[in-house]
Order: sequence, then structure tokens, then C-alpha cells
Amino acid sequence: MDTSSPSVFVNAELLRMHVGKKVRAVVHVTQSDGEITTGKSTDEHQLIVKGLPHVSLMSYVEVIGIAESDQSIRAETWTNFGNTFDAQSYNQVCQLANGEFKGLFL
Amino acid sequence: MTKCVSPNAISTILANPSPESSSDVPEIVVQVIELKATGASGNRFMFTANDGKMKLRGILPTNMGSEVMSGNIQNLGLIRILDYTLNDIPNKPEKYLIVTKCEVVSPPLEMEVKSEVKSEETGIVLKPKQENEIKSEVKSEVPGIFLKPKQEIVAKSAAQIVHEQRQNMAPAARMSMTRRVFPLVSLNPYQGSWTIKVRVTSKGSMRTYKNARGEGCVFNVELTDEDGTQIQATMFNEAAKKFYDRFQLGKVYFISKGTLRLANKQFKTVKNDYEMTLNENSEVEEASNEETFVPETTFNFVPIDSLGPYVNGMELVDVIGVVQNVSSTMSIRRKSNNDTIPKRDITIADATKKTVVVSLWNDLATSVGQELLDIADKSPIVAIKSLKVGEFQGVSLSTLSRSVVLVNPDLPEAKKLRSWYDSEGKESSMASVSSGMSPSSKSGSRSMYSDRVSLSHIQKNPSLGEEKPVFFSIRGYISFIKPDQAMWYRACKTCNRKVTEALGSGYWCEACQKNDEECNLRYIMVVKISDASGEAFLSVFNEEAEKIVGCSADELDKLKSEEGEENPYQLKLKQATWNSHLFRVSVAQNEYNNEKKQRITVRAVAPVDFAAESRFLLEEISKMRVSK
Repeated sequence: MDTSSPSVFVNAELLRMHVGKKVRAVVHVTQSDGEITTGKSTDEHQLIVKGLPHVSLMSYVEVIGIAESDQSIRAETWTNFGNTFDAQSYNQVCQLANGEFKGLFL
Repeated sequence: MTKCVSPNAISTILANPSPESSSDVPEIVVQVIELKATGASGNRFMFTANDGKMKLRGILPTNMGSEVMSGNIQNLGLIRILDYTLNDIPNKPEKYLIVTKCEVVSPPLEMEVKSEVKSEETGIVLKPKQENEIKSEVKSEVPGIFLKPKQEIVAKSAAQIVHEQRQNMAPAARMSMTRRVFPLVSLNPYQGSWTIKVRVTSKGSMRTYKNARGEGCVFNVELTDEDGTQIQATMFNEAAKKFYDRFQLGKVYFISKGTLRLANKQFKTVKNDYEMTLNENSEVEEASNEETFVPETTFNFVPIDSLGPYVNGMELVDVIGVVQNVSSTMSIRRKSNNDTIPKRDITIADATKKTVVVSLWNDLATSVGQELLDIADKSPIVAIKSLKVGEFQGVSLSTLSRSVVLVNPDLPEAKKLRSWYDSEGKESSMASVSSGMSPSSKSGSRSMYSDRVSLSHIQKNPSLGEEKPVFFSIRGYISFIKPDQAMWYRACKTCNRKVTEALGSGYWCEACQKNDEECNLRYIMVVKISDASGEAFLSVFNEEAEKIVGCSADELDKLKSEEGEENPYQLKLKQATWNSHLFRVSVAQNEYNNEKKQRITVRAVAPVDFAAESRFLLEEISKMRVSK
């Protein structure tokens, strides 16, 4: 397992704290036009992902890439989780991973 | 320091039965003999005080218990009595010494102290007794003068005269004349007569029963005396009817003429080796001038969503909740004697957003049940103590005769519940506590999330399931399935029992008493499971094994005999390995060659629901943080 460049679990709120760094987030796709994908973060805010191929609407995609701004990520790798995903649990993990359990993740 | 008994110590005590204070008590040193432990926890000590000439039975104060246990006070040792009370034993000349303050004087002497000069003392010894028996001796001392007039009337014994005199007095005064109170702890089945002064700290309801000897009614009360000692008293039939209304919760009574016997461990609710029975001849009189004190009920509430583990257990629970619904009274016919008893069901909810149904029986259904129905629209809070947890519809609660129901109680939990309900509770949707449970009867109607434990929890407790099998949920990986184990047995196609090879051909089922050409193979195997905490071997039967292996035993058997590069049988088992599952297991004790061994059996298997599992883990994490 390559642990050389870990990515931080983020939602919209946490993204702004890691601009310029490698992050991972799950977005619920609302718009997808080839170059720009728009989706809802796990804490219900809008995020933009650049560099994804066409993804079917309403699917959950995990994106790993560099945070370009406090609202967008440039994708390097991605995984499509399909239509069922527990966004709330993922959101809680984001909070734990950036809070008291930070040491376990980075 | 004198290391011998005070001469005439006993007579001194007898002459002054209730000294005003310890300054009123002269130097009294006695020898302790016949020392023995008594009382509910064996921490009170009875003894006989010996001064060489006389002996007196008595009891040491509670605070001297430690002196006895440490060996400072031993049999044949000496103590100085600093303060005491002498109690009468009704209708007997002997007295009972209650030592209230004493100190150790000397360790055990070589033997019982015996005064040499006895004959002269006999006169002295008799005197105190004479004082008591003076009434009965009236006749013998002065026969001539007194008997003649009596001959015209029916001759009465002195006891009868005294009794008649007393009958004209007020009841309380009547009893107080002869009454000296015995501590509950000093009672035993062989003690002659006694009187106790006790408070009713619990009162059961009247129950009717039918047995081989006929019908009857019974009720019991829990009695507590000043020392805090408790005893259960039971009354049957006539006595029950006589005393049911007289005994009231919280009131104090003088009781005498009851019988004591060893308590039946199965049914006893108070800590006392003995239990008491009162019959129609027993005496129960209310003590006037005693405040009615109903001991405060203490609660230990279980949140509704945590009731699962208590189902069908012996442990009684306390709950508190907001009343959502009150049913009308139902009449339930009791199977044992065809009696009909009233029942009322109430639904309560708490901050866990779960609801549960509580069945109120007998008096509770009619009294407080009606009260709740009247105020149901105000969503009252109800706190109930001592409920039995049953499995009807998943989880059900039932009251017993000892249950206590408080409506809108003044408790901090009630205040918290009220504010929760008023702010968010009444709007939120609640689910029945049973709805989160799988209805499978094999797993005992519990979900894969109730009683969730780690494997180490089971391994570290070798005594689990000693009496009755205990059920748990676990999540683990299949870490190893041994290929060369007896993995299946030949089973009858009809009844699934093991068949034997018939003499001719085919298979014989002993249970069905028939022969069949064919049989089924059914799994019976042991698999190794691992989780983050440890590993264990689990026994798995057919249905669950099929889910784990991914095919039936017959199919696996076919694979076994197939030839190929890689044995498809081994491959199939390999593929089953390192899959995670949710298991419902039972843990029990088995005896192999006189050794007790823990046996874990799989009762149900389910795939891991990752979203549900994540939520469960997140909750566990938050619980960990709270407990810090």
C-alpha cells in the first residue's frame, strides 16, 4: 500500500482548510458535462470536480485529487460507488478524521 | 485491670433491667460463652453471659461484630458491659440481655468460670425469679386465705386474671405491658415467644391459587425493623383475609406469635435466612405514635432501546417514559385456576425514540391504569420499578405484584424527559423497540446489533452459558475451514435425522422407521472465525453453513470427488475464507471427559450491511468518547 501521499478526508466545510493539498471527498453528482462535474458534498454544499469523465447523475463518486479552491477539486483518481451510499456516515468520518483522530489518518 | 468476672454480675443486671444511662451501670465484667453468629449476614453475635454463678442469654451490639471477627472477643473471653437493656420473654421467667455498649477485657480464659460456693447462692438466684412469678405463686404462698372466696366462683389461674385485666385496656397499651421488642436478627425457629416492632416496607397483592388440596388465597409483606434487618412474612387463607387490610405500607406494627422457617432460596426477595408465616392466632397491632414512613423508591432506569438483552431473563428492570397510549381494561383468564384478572396495556416512549408496551396487571391496571387513561392526552411521564421483560412481539414489559408505578414523579430523569418531549419528542416519529429486530425465531427475535460483542468477550468468560445458553451477535471473518474434517452427515430426507446404512442397500432412519434408497448430506462443521479482538471455533449447521460455503453439502461432496488441477473442493473452501459475516451465536457449556468446555454455535448468518455497520461503529466510537 502506497502511503507516500495520503489524502485528507474532506467535506465542503473541511475542504477550505486544505486548499492546495491532496484531498478525498464523496460527491453526489447533480450535473455532469464531461469537463466539469457538479455535485453535493456529504455536508450538503455544492462542490465542483474537474477532470472526471461523464458520470451518471445521482451516483456517488469518491474523488481523490488536489483541492484547487475552497469549492473545487481537480481529480486524479475516482471511484463510482453507485446510487446507494450512506453520506451521513462518511461525513462523520470526515469530522473524526480531522478532529480527535487526525493522528490515525495522516 | 481485673481479669475476672464481677461477682454477681448477672444479678446486678437482672436487678436493674433498664439503666438510665451508662453512668448508671456499675462495673460489670462477664465471661462470653456459647458465642455464635446470627442475623442475615452473620454479623450479629448471640452469646451467654456467665458470672460463674448465673448465666444470661443475650446479644452483642452490631458495632462489636468487628471485634468478634478480628478475634478480640472470643468464646470464654471477658467483656465489660457498659450499657444494656434487659428484655422480658413473655410467659417465661428468663430474660434476654441486649448489650448496647461494651468493651473487651480479656482474651479467652482456660475454661468456663464456675464459682465454687454454689449452695448458699441458690437462695439469691431464686429471688429475681420470684419477683416475676409472684402472681402465679400467690395461690401457693397463701392458700388458705385466697382460695376460699374463689371456690364460689370458677377458679381462675393468675394468668387468666391478668389477661382479663388487660383486655379492658386499650389494645396498644395491652401489648406494651408484656412487650419487650426483639431485634429481627435474634429470631429463629426454636425461639419460644417473641414480639417484634417492624415497618411494612413492601406489600404484595392478594393472590388466589388452586392446588391439590383445594383453593386458597395468599399475600406477603416485607417487614423491616430498626436495625434494618428485613424478613418476608406470608399469610394464607383466613390469616390473609384477617390481616390484608390491617397491614398498610409504611406503617409500624408490633407482631408476635408468628412461625419462622428456613427461606426457600428460589423465592426469597429479602436477605434473610428465615421467612415468617403468620396464622389466625398471630398478633398484629399497629404501633401508635409511629410516623408512617414509606421508604423512597430508588430507580435504575434502562433506556427503551437497551431492553433487548433483558428479554426472558430473570433480572427485573426499571423504566421511565412518556405515555403515548393507554388501552382499556382487559380481562385475562388465568390458565391455572380460571380466575380472571384485569390487565391494561400502556405504550411509553423515551429519548431513544423507541416505544415499548407495558402490561399493568391487577390493582395497577384498575387504579393507576385508570388514572393514566384520564390524563393520557397530557402525555404524562410514568416511572415503573421492577418489571419483567418478555419476548411478546419482540420486547414486552409486565408488572409484578412488587412493581411500583409513579406518575409524573419528581425525579431528575422525569424533568429531562419532559423537556426532551416538549421540545422535540412529541414531533419525532418513534419506532417500536421490536421493529429493529429480525423476526427469525432461531435468533430469538433479536437483531444482529443487539448484544453485539467481540470474540474476546466470549473467550475471556469461560463461564458464559453455564446455566442457560447466552446469545450474542458478532461480526467476523471466516479465517479457516479445515478441509479434512467430518463436514456432513447422512440425513433422512424426511426428518433430517442421521440415518445408518441399511443391510441391503439404501439407508435406514430409526425415527421414521423406514428405509430409503437415497439420503441427503447435511452440513455439520467447525469453522474458525476471527475478528479484531481474537479468534474462535464455531459449530455451524446446515442452513448457515450453506450460506458460508456457498453451496449445499451434496454439491460440495460432488466437488470433492472431481479431479482437476486444483482440487475444486479445496478451492470452494478457500473462496469461503476471509469473507466477513454477521453471526448470531449461542454460547453454552459442554462437558467432555469431566471437563467443562465452552461451545459456540451459529444460529443465524447474515451478510454485513456496510452502511448499517458503519452507523453502528460510529455510535460505538461516540460511546467510547462519552465514557472518557
